[in-house]
Amino acid sequence: MRSPGTRTWCGPRLLRLAPLPVLCGCEGRHSWLAGAGAEARAIESLFWPFLIGSAIVWTAVMAFAVFAYRSAASDKGERVGRAVILWGGAVVPTIVVAMLLLTGLLTLRALSARSPALTVQVDGEQWWWRVAYRVPGQAEVVTANEIRLPRGETAELLLTSDDVIHSLWAPALGGKMDMVPGRTNRLTLTPLTIGSWGGLCAEYCGAAHAQMRFEVVVTEPEAFRDWLADEAMPAAPEALSEGGGLDAFLDAGCGACHTIRGTEADGPVGPDLTHVGGRGRIGAGLVPLTAANLSRWISHTDDVKPGVRMPAYPDLAPEALDRLVAFLMALK
Amino acid sequence: MTYPRIIDDGSVWIVIMPPVIWAGHFLAAYWIAAVWCARGMGVLAPAAWAILALTLIALAAIGWIARIATVRYEGLLRHEASIADDRERSRERFLGHVALLLCALNAVAVIFTAAPSLVFGQC
Ligand code: HEC
Ligand SMILES: [Cu+2]
Repeated sequence: MRSPGTRTWCGPRLLRLAPLPVLCGCEGRHSWLAGAGAEARAIESLFWPFLIGSAIVWTAVMAFAVFAYRSAASDKGERVGRAVILWGGAVVPTIVVAMLLLTGLLTLRALSARSPALTVQVDGEQWWWRVAYRVPGQAEVVTANEIRLPRGETAELLLTSDDVIHSLWAPALGGKMDMVPGRTNRLTLTPLTIGSWGGLCAEYCGAAHAQMRFEVVVTEPEAFRDWLADEAMPAAPEALSEGGGLDAFLDAGCGACHTIRGTEADGPVGPDLTHVGGRGRIGAGLVPLTAANLSRWISHTDDVKPGVRMPAYPDLAPEALDRLVAFLMALK
Repeated sequence: MTYPRIIDDGSVWIVIMPPVIWAGHFLAAYWIAAVWCARGMGVLAPAAWAILALTLIALAAIGWIARIATVRYEGLLRHEASIADDRERSRERFLGHVALLLCALNAVAVIFTAAPSLVFGQC
């Protein structure tokens, strides 16, 4: 049972495996250690002390267990052992856990105390995100699947859902919160690093849950305000006048589900397409927006995103499809 | 024929009560906070005071049981005398010992349950 062979084998092996979980997933736009937001940094500054503290406690307990296992029974050992159980097993852990609870609660309070400069409502749908910017004294600006935020400003996200529970998570920025039907949950994000950060649904919500993604695009505040002003405008006139694209769109019946502001298409079912050409990706963050991908999306929707709640249009005439794609790409 | 002893000496109620108090406190604290916040009262303070009062009552009740348990156990930290014999006295001491540990555990649990309501000012 205590053969030296097992011991020399186990030790180095465990040591070699130990750093693995720490090394994985520390980079990239989905990493919660990227520090792209104030909230993510606050959590990170808890994470490292907690991790190191846990490692120390774990090592101490293991060392102590080995020591206790090897020492012979004695009367004095019995007394010391009971004292160790009382202090090391009850009193000290209670104090440590109480401190952890308190730091956790205080961090949470600090995070929710920031006063927001911007309110964005994000509504989870199967399997995409409806996004509405609320600027006081101005009509709501509705878009989808891409959340733009100004750097250095705190944004308040009001999270809702009409169908099932979703969860909005942009790891690099730090937030994760459920979207529960019938409730409005509040999440604040303060992005600090310019860039395009990945987000995803973190609560299983049906067939295409794994393909329910979004982008968080962080820009300088001026660029953000310019973008928001553009986004509030109706569809680009050049696109509407261009070679029968809008007609193809309306003829195919897309307008029953999609809205293009400035046209008669005002369907509330799917994502707003007024400025779809200005977004980086389609299919709720699934594939980059290119003419080829868009064409495939329309004609073979279910192949691109199995389970999707949009019908495929495999029978569109090639010219109609081309006109449709050019039209959507022009909706900047 | 012997009947289960519910309330007299040697009965197990002092073992059952601490977790029951914790469960009741847990439920009540969540009820108060949930109902208060569901009614759109943004400020948490009145609910927090109610939870604090409830916490003090729960701790007092646990303290009272801890006192009884100490008497049964004949002390706080006695480990020289046996509590594992198959005798009436040992059984009673054993129950006192268990109840005392549960009192400590549940007092901590009650405090942890109440902690968030004392930290947050808003729903
Ligand atoms: C039955 C309603 C419905 C109809 C009809 C419909 N769509 Fe959709 N569409 C949706 C839904 C729902 C989504 C979101 C799918 C997802 O990402 O899960 C969507 C997504 C899209 C997207 C991607 C938007 C984004 O930002 O990710 C495009 C582009 C699009 N549809 C174009 C069209 C075109 C063009 C037509 C007509 C040929 C059409 N749709 C017809 C419901 C519909
Ligand atoms: Cu989901």
